[in-house]
Amino acid sequence: MLIVNNVSKSYGKFSVLEDINIEFTNGVYGLLAPNGAGKTTLIKMLTTLLFPNEGQILYNGTDIFSLGDEYRNILGYLPQEFGYYKNYSPRKFLQYLSALKGLDKNAAKKKIDELLELVGLENVRDKKMKKFSGGMIQRVGIAQAMLNDPKILILDEPTAGLDPKERVRFRNLLAELARDRIVILSTHIVSDIESIANEVIMIKDKRILYKDNLNNICKILEGKVYETEVAFDQVSSFRNKYFSLSERQEDNKMKIRFISESKSEDSWNSVNPSIEDVFLYVYKDEVIKEE
Amino acid sequence: MDIKINEFKKVITSPVIIGLLVLFIIFNSIKIIENSYFKDELKVLNKIVDRFGYKIDDEMINRFKEYYDEQIEELNNKIVREKNSKEYNSISEFYADHKYDIEEVYNKEEVEFIEELGIMEAYYNMIWKIDDFYSSIDIMDRAESEILKYGLSGKAANIVRKQYEALNERFHQLVNNNEHKNLFFIGKVYKMHSLLFRNILKTIIFEIIILVVLITAYLVNYEFDNSTEYIVYSTKKGRDLILDKLQITMVSSILAATIILLTGLGLYFIVFDYSGLWNVPISSYYNRDYNFPYLSWWNMSFIQYLLFSIVLVYLITLLFNGIAFIIARAIKNTYFAFFVFAIIFGLFLTVPGMAPRDSITIFIGGFTPFFLIINPHMWFMESGAFTTFKHYELATVGIWALVLLALGVLSINKFKRQDI
Repeated sequence: MLIVNNVSKSYGKFSVLEDINIEFTNGVYGLLAPNGAGKTTLIKMLTTLLFPNEGQILYNGTDIFSLGDEYRNILGYLPQEFGYYKNYSPRKFLQYLSALKGLDKNAAKKKIDELLELVGLENVRDKKMKKFSGGMIQRVGIAQAMLNDPKILILDEPTAGLDPKERVRFRNLLAELARDRIVILSTHIVSDIESIANEVIMIKDKRILYKDNLNNICKILEGKVYETEVAFDQVSSFRNKYFSLSERQEDNKMKIRFISESKSEDSWNSVNPSIEDVFLYVYKDEVIKEE
Repeated sequence: MDIKINEFKKVITSPVIIGLLVLFIIFNSIKIIENSYFKDELKVLNKIVDRFGYKIDDEMINRFKEYYDEQIEELNNKIVREKNSKEYNSISEFYADHKYDIEEVYNKEEVEFIEELGIMEAYYNMIWKIDDFYSSIDIMDRAESEILKYGLSGKAANIVRKQYEALNERFHQLVNNNEHKNLFFIGKVYKMHSLLFRNILKTIIFEIIILVVLITAYLVNYEFDNSTEYIVYSTKKGRDLILDKLQITMVSSILAATIILLTGLGLYFIVFDYSGLWNVPISSYYNRDYNFPYLSWWNMSFIQYLLFSIVLVYLITLLFNGIAFIIARAIKNTYFAFFVFAIIFGLFLTVPGMAPRDSITIFIGGFTPFFLIINPHMWFMESGAFTTFKHYELATVGIWALVLLALGVLSINKFKRQDI
């Protein structure tokens, strides 16, 4: 079990995370927050790259920084900015990382072949990576994270650059892996989490806002999400009144999905809230700021 | 071991490092070849040494004189007399008569004989000047002129006097040992000591430093330059990798130094023939290539001086490896680290000169690897006001090794507790 205990992190006077408490057991955890909310900072602390200013991170009751290589030995990590050596082939790159991960040379060889097949790169295993597409590089990144068969697999924006088919394949792979390990998936792509996360962790204002399963998190908006058709000339005033989640044109009208705290009108259809709705609602201030 | 091999591969596959190494080898070769135009003249000394040895004593002088007289006689009998019915007592006399027409009057073989004899005469004539020259040397006068040259006073001037007093003792010992009375290439003419140690070796040292700083900064920052630091430092090996990196930069630096030294000095000794001269004391009167003779603190032969200098180059290589490591660790960019190193280098050479001229702080600036490499032709010798200390080289290397060791440990510990 991995426990984040009262952890705070700041850079100088700039505080990024405050009093974070999370418990991870086997399963997929979706870390959901807009860019800049502190996801990567949390992940970098979980991977020992950053040190918390306060609090502790414990693995099976022991501080991960005291565990040192013992902890990193069970860790697989795909960073958001995945760097690689352009003149290396995937096989050579994975061999290099397996040496750093302390794998036996022969066992690593077998594992590398298996993983390259798993991520669909078996035909280009000896080609230099400088000619690879973004999706191919990302698949090398996923393979390297799994080299040591980690008990804790941490993936920061893993589906960036993957095409829809690869994305589905990857999600299935994660769901399979998560049966006997902790998988922490950081993303701002809601659909990644929707299909596989057992629990969703949302960070807001430097703190954990929610940590719960999808259904419970979606219940936050139960009875508040509606769809209705609005004439084009009234769209603007409607938007001012309600928080619009999505809009599309249909039969010369605008079909709007929105949130209303007040009682529904007859023309409104109540719909089940999705995690995307919650995301947009929770981070509406950030969304406005970003716009 | 795999990790170290991988780190080493990063160094040897760097086009910048390999390119520079090749460039330096070519540059050194050109430099040596460029200076080789007089190499045949030097061989005359090898012949003299083969015949009489290099040690100048009464017996040697007699034999040399006998041979020299024979050669002058041969000049007169076989070459000169039949062509201009005249006799000469020396080649100098002969040259006075034949300023421009030697090659027109005499055939190739005769010209070669004349030229060789002329060189031999130069070596022979110098023998008679040695005693007068050394008896005219006053080491304490030298100390005073150094003090005056740099405007030293008070404690600083006293330190210089004290060091030169110690040197004075050594000077008398050197003269008693007759270390100065040994044949060697005439320094005033060929400047071989300056060519080898001041020109070639100094260039080699600077090249090694450039390579060492580049190799060290490149390897220490390799992950940061390639954005792989997050993957690499979160593996089982983690930040302990920095220790492997340090070891590999040391090995690579020594290797680069060896390649540059082997190719540079190798070619030098192929071009210039030192056979028979390896054991000549470095403080030989003949070796003097400027006004003041070289006075080594110990009785060292040329080969011993060369080997000690090479060992010192390796130690300096490791010191600069340490300096570069500490800079590169603090600055996570290879080329910026190199730039910062260059600035630090400049500061270490200029700032100490601003110290008060009457205080002992003026000497601190001399005890740095940056200052040490400026005059490799004067290592282990009298070398001016700031560095004429018997154990100057050893003290500089020792102090800096300890300081860098301490800073290196701090730097590594900081890295292990630092956010990445």
